[in-house]
Amino acid sequence: MPGAVEQRLLRQGLGYALGLRIVVIGLSSAAYLALAPVPDRMVAVAVVVGFNGWSLCYAAAMLRGSRSVRRWLPLADVAAVCGACLTQSWTVTSDPRGGSTWLFVAVNLVVVTYPWQVDWRLLAGGTLTIVTAYYVGATMADPGGWLVDPSIGPWTAAEAALSWGLYRFVRRGARAADRTIARAAELRHAAAVAAARRRDEREYLAALHDTAAATLLMVGSGVVDRTEPWLVEQARRDLRELQRSEDVLHGEADLVPLLHEVADNALPQIAWRTPDSLPLPAADAVALTRGVREALTNVVRHAGTDRTEIRVDHDAERVTVQIIDRGLGFDPTRVDSQRYGVTRSLTERMIRIGGAARIQSRPGHGTTVTLSCPRAVPEVSGNDQEIIATSFQRGLRWAVVVMSLAILLFLDLPRLLSSREAYAVFWPQIVTWAGLVAVTLAVAVATWRDRPLGRWRPPLLGLVFALSALATMSVRPEYLLGAAHWSEGDAGWQVVLLMMDARIPAFVAVLAAHYLMTFGQAALAGQAALSVAGAVSATWAVLAYQLAIAMIAAVLRGMAASSAQALRAAERVRTSEAVARHLHADRTSRLSGLGAGTVPLLTGLASGELDPGDESVRRMCAAEAARMRRLIAAEDTADSLSHELRACIELAERNGVAVSFAECGDRPELPPLVRQRLIEPAIAALATARGRARLTVASTGGTVTVSVVAACPPPPPMPDGGGVRQSMTVVGDRLWIQAAWQEER
Amino acid sequence: MITAVVVDDHPVVIAGVRAWCALADPPIDVVAAGPTVSVAWLDPGDRADVVVLDLQLDIAGPAYGDLKRLVDAGRQVVVYSMRSDRDSVLAALDIGAFTYLTKAEGEEHLVAAITAAAAGTPYTPPALAGAFGTDERPHRPRLSPREQQVLIEWFHSESKEMVARRLNLTVHRVNSCLERVRIKYANLGREAPTKAALVARALQDGLITTDEL
Repeated sequence: MPGAVEQRLLRQGLGYALGLRIVVIGLSSAAYLALAPVPDRMVAVAVVVGFNGWSLCYAAAMLRGSRSVRRWLPLADVAAVCGACLTQSWTVTSDPRGGSTWLFVAVNLVVVTYPWQVDWRLLAGGTLTIVTAYYVGATMADPGGWLVDPSIGPWTAAEAALSWGLYRFVRRGARAADRTIARAAELRHAAAVAAARRRDEREYLAALHDTAAATLLMVGSGVVDRTEPWLVEQARRDLRELQRSEDVLHGEADLVPLLHEVADNALPQIAWRTPDSLPLPAADAVALTRGVREALTNVVRHAGTDRTEIRVDHDAERVTVQIIDRGLGFDPTRVDSQRYGVTRSLTERMIRIGGAARIQSRPGHGTTVTLSCPRAVPEVSGNDQEIIATSFQRGLRWAVVVMSLAILLFLDLPRLLSSREAYAVFWPQIVTWAGLVAVTLAVAVATWRDRPLGRWRPPLLGLVFALSALATMSVRPEYLLGAAHWSEGDAGWQVVLLMMDARIPAFVAVLAAHYLMTFGQAALAGQAALSVAGAVSATWAVLAYQLAIAMIAAVLRGMAASSAQALRAAERVRTSEAVARHLHADRTSRLSGLGAGTVPLLTGLASGELDPGDESVRRMCAAEAARMRRLIAAEDTADSLSHELRACIELAERNGVAVSFAECGDRPELPPLVRQRLIEPAIAALATARGRARLTVASTGGTVTVSVVAACPPPPPMPDGGGVRQSMTVVGDRLWIQAAWQEER
Repeated sequence: MITAVVVDDHPVVIAGVRAWCALADPPIDVVAAGPTVSVAWLDPGDRADVVVLDLQLDIAGPAYGDLKRLVDAGRQVVVYSMRSDRDSVLAALDIGAFTYLTKAEGEEHLVAAITAAAAGTPYTPPALAGAFGTDERPHRPRLSPREQQVLIEWFHSESKEMVARRLNLTVHRVNSCLERVRIKYANLGREAPTKAALVARALQDGLITTDEL
């Protein structure tokens, strides 16, 4: 079963191949009818119109038809092309100076685009049949004449083979991209699940701290000596909080009623300044609400006032909730920053959802608590897109390298050796040939080492143009643009190689400049083997093929982007399903963990069955509160970065990579986006690594560095952002990538 | 011939250390091995040049007391432990351990560490470098920014060549940075015979000056 990228490639490649065939054959046949004399214009027009009409119907049927239609239809197409070939007596003229006939171009294009439509067996059989039909038609039209050129058969077969090679290479690129992306997705998936489980765990524990643990501690320390109504109410609410079902954190929730629910319970006099409703992702709404509850608890405890104002502001990017009191206030610099209530419940709770908490206060001037959270978590850079694009680019470049070398070795070398009489001087031909081979090999080396051509591109292009001009100059005028003038079209392949990653207009301009230069030289020398009109029509087949490469490259670049989007979307769906499943299991097990101690105690307190004044009840509550505190404290020491990295390591190891992991230093709490960006290079490296890898995390002086050493292709560069910088060192075949984040001070 | 005694309660670890030592060049003779520290005090373990000590010998917690007694007796102790947290590493070094290796580093570094301990030359494996580099205690020795950088990069990397490449230094310079750091820590630690030898030697070799200490 082909992967997602490969499937898209096959679908788009088919459409693209059919389109190219329609456009090129349509243009070249129309030009031929307009420019060249034909033996029977009526028949020729009928055949041209009929053939192009068939091409259109064929393309539509291939794109829309079912699998079985796509299987047998190419056979009909082979028959149609053979039929057209047999009409050469009426539709083409034998004129050596007129260049290729439209049927020759048609045969070429059909064969070149077949690899995207049929398997290799039909490609071979079809090519053989079509070439045979072409010879039969040509012999009928021009027995033993120019039309029956013996080189046409091998040339067409070679083109078919080269095109098939190109197809295989690009397809292999797609497969490689599929594999890499699948592995990276798996790692990211594991990290996301781990992160969500952990976030939920911490959210849950923070809630526990604010609710059940506080209530039990209060009872345990003997603050309440009999069953009070508010204690019953408190115990009931705590139970509800513990059993809150998981659907709370999925989908959307309206922040405003949630805020009213907690605030109206806590304080009698609140001035509200909020919108009527504000739907948010449920997790954010719940986190903000719990933050507000904590802030209001502080007002009740410390502010010495019962008048508070709650403001909710929002724009496209952030939601801000402010809790303002005009009470006693305090000096923020003199509060122990480690005190659990303020630090964890407010600041860390907001950090967990990518937001922030700020407390402003002055003795005698009241306190303002500002909680904010972003409305959408920003996307991480499109690494997958880069992976796909790189993979395709490599595949395509290899294909063109192999094709160019094959053309130089098996077509051009025999041609130039067998037509020595055509050259005024012979050595420039050899120099040009060797030079073009060298340029091709240079591109091959760059592709192999995965280096962009960069500043080498202009000098190499200049070299190709110079070599081409040199070869053209040494051809005798009467042989110009003929078979002996091999460099005319074939030096274009090196131009294609060098310009492959350029935009289409630049590509076309440079390629056209090369042809125009050669034609110009031929026109100046006069007496060419072909008329210029003939040369243009002779150029069709090669030029169309070369332009085809430019378009494939462009299509692949575009495809990389859309494939990456599609893959990410699919991954998100998969991840959120897995997260929901895990969260449900986690919560069930946590609740059963608390079931033995906390739940019966709270239930007893809520129903009034347990008397808080009773010494044994008090002891049980104190013990249970202590147990919960321990649970919360233990959770505090571990941290989520290594938690997520470990999940990735586990998966990488299942893929056969031996990862040695080490960490040192005290890490500050990292915002989710920073964490994600720090981990991303490690994920990219571990997904493609072979053998062993070293993954380390060091934190010192407010800098957190995630480093990975592995034998892997360089990951796509990640734009610096979120304060995370990426750097890379290559030592032999080992790549050392670091992502570092500096805490703001 | 270098001799060593291995104190580890896990027979597989002892077998592994014996195998590495036998293959070492020059070979290291493991004269005794056992699950308790007594093997290092009794004949023939008491004459071994180097003691390889697992810190976590029982559930009672790290065997710092055993380590201290060995150091006080002038033994060269290579701590070889499962624990990789900074506090354990620095505590062992403060007590006077010659060097600290995590079990994950054994294959690559244990033989070299034993050889270095026998010769009395400093040896800083990556985990130890990480602990030094992230040491934020108030009484830590003062390190130059370059030393700090070398420590962290050595912790991240797989070889000194990599560190040298990344920081544009020679391997020699990387090594001398690591040695200087080790000497600074030795100078700061508890009084112990092995420490005195390490510092004296570094001063003699001109690796560090008294001013820097």
